[in-house]
Amino acid sequence: MTDAAKKQILVVDDAALVRTYYRAALEARGFKVEEALNGLEGLEKILLQSFDLAIVDVNMPQMDGITFVRTVRAMELPVSSTPILMISTEAGPQDIAAARQAGANYYLVKPIKQDTLAEFAAIFCGAH
Amino acid sequence: MPLVKRPASDTSPSAPDRAQLATKLLDGTDQERWDAARDALEHPDGLSLLGRALASERVPRVREAIFTALAKIDTPDAASVVLPYLRSDDAAQRTAALDALKAMPSAAGTHLPALLSDGDQDVRLLACEIARRLPADESARVLVELIEREDQANVCAAAIEVLAETGGPSSLPALARCGARFPDDPFLAFAVKAAADRIGAR
Repeated sequence: MTDAAKKQILVVDDAALVRTYYRAALEARGFKVEEALNGLEGLEKILLQSFDLAIVDVNMPQMDGITFVRTVRAMELPVSSTPILMISTEAGPQDIAAARQAGANYYLVKPIKQDTLAEFAAIFCGAH
Repeated sequence: MPLVKRPASDTSPSAPDRAQLATKLLDGTDQERWDAARDALEHPDGLSLLGRALASERVPRVREAIFTALAKIDTPDAASVVLPYLRSDDAAQRTAALDALKAMPSAAGTHLPALLSDGDQDVRLLACEIARRLPADESARVLVELIEREDQANVCAAAIEVLAETGGPSSLPALARCGARFPDDPFLAFAVKAAADRIGAR
């Protein structure tokens, strides 16, 4: 069993095709994947289960990704220390600054290759 | 003294006083501003007051109440008040604006052609989610038109996400042409195939 096979990743994105694309990339590397449709659902899941990484979109209904990250970082350990990788079409410096200020560990701009996603997941999960 | 029935058009006793409402909306406590956002629905000048309050409101809970009130007014003018917030640098504001517009699809739909042709690709991308709330045929028509002319892959991807739900067999040629225009975008190729599969399976 590889390191990745023990790692749980939460994908938070309102776009079904995007979630499917990420899931395919991550499961091909052996990661276990859980999905949430927006920040609120992501919070519910991250409170119920420990994740090695959360991959989070910025623009989502009900709760956006920046608010999700800020809320997670304000929670108690160990939830607050969950690594968070943000991926968005928003490529402006203010968007990246907002993500970092909220507490995201890293910010990737779409489009993203599946191999690249899996590589970054491995880096932030410590599954290299 | 005989009882005189008040004319139906005279709502002044139940309509909050404009100045009082404006004071609460703009200068009240958080709770008073939240309450006033709801009261504004009943006031003939509610739309302009809500628009003014939204421009200066910084408390997320109150801002949400204002967006909700605007969605309940549900007119093209109410949608016009919300539209500028799709361009906000604040993701929470963009989300609240988009949620409000999705809650008034008919009113927001009057602005959709302009939004889908907006010079800002982020606005075009968010507008695809408004198109999701239109009747399926109409949604598919405007999004097929979009992906035929759109030069940004991320916008096409957002449109294809919706077309996977609302599109039909007539959308398939446009999907294929769109994928062919962005051969180096791995997600778009994936999305086109997934959407075609879903449409084909219906």
